[in-house]
Amino acid sequence: MPETAPLPLDPRAVRLDETAADRDDAIRQCGRALLETGAVAEPYIATMLDRERSISTYVGEGVAIPHGTLAGKDVVHHDAICVLRFPGGVDWDGERVTVCVGIAAKGDGHVRLLSELARILLDPGSARALRAATEVGQVLELLLPTAGEDTEK
Amino acid sequence: MASIESKDIRKIIVACDAGMGSSVMLASQVRKQLKGTQIQVEHTPVNSIPDDADVILCHVGLADRARKSAPGRVLVPFQVFIGDPAVTKLISTIKSGGTVDA
Repeated sequence: MPETAPLPLDPRAVRLDETAADRDDAIRQCGRALLETGAVAEPYIATMLDRERSISTYVGEGVAIPHGTLAGKDVVHHDAICVLRFPGGVDWDGERVTVCVGIAAKGDGHVRLLSELARILLDPGSARALRAATEVGQVLELLLPTAGEDTEK
Repeated sequence: MASIESKDIRKIIVACDAGMGSSVMLASQVRKQLKGTQIQVEHTPVNSIPDDADVILCHVGLADRARKSAPGRVLVPFQVFIGDPAVTKLISTIKSGGTVDA
């Protein structure tokens, strides 16, 4: 396997002290972070809201992973994720979300990163660390694929 | 009701609407848990499930679309993307060599 491609996580898209009025506001903020870092065009944001209304992207441990629909893929420029932290919490259809990992993808550039996220969510200690992260560096470190552990695919 | 013997499973598809978020995450987990078997685990949009998919995992909210997209195939619906009992059961059935039914 070739060495790890650069992570599709632009540090400018890691924002750790945000506030959101509600779920849709949090999703729009994720969409804007992806927009501002050049990953998507503006219409992508509406497809993120569409997706959330059909099936929640809440994945447990206070984390949601908002992303667009199949239709939204057309306006994705490159695979990317953003991490927005809402220390005050956001009501997510009855669940309390404090971390949003927004996703835009048309390929598989973000797969390793999501695989790491799944590992974090399955480990309560790591999940707690992600929810508590106040520095961009901490988030990057947590989401960085664990060396040598992940040789799948 | 569709069913398949564990030994006949070659490919598991995790299907989602766009195939870019939750399905990716679940596929990576299933792949990890089935490491060492011959089973391929992939993620695709629900509208483009490949013909050679033996077992399809998808969110309950997409089950109808998956059934239309891949009629007659074994479909395992789940509710949550991480740690769903239906997924745990599928893995343990495969590992013990049992029969997976829809």
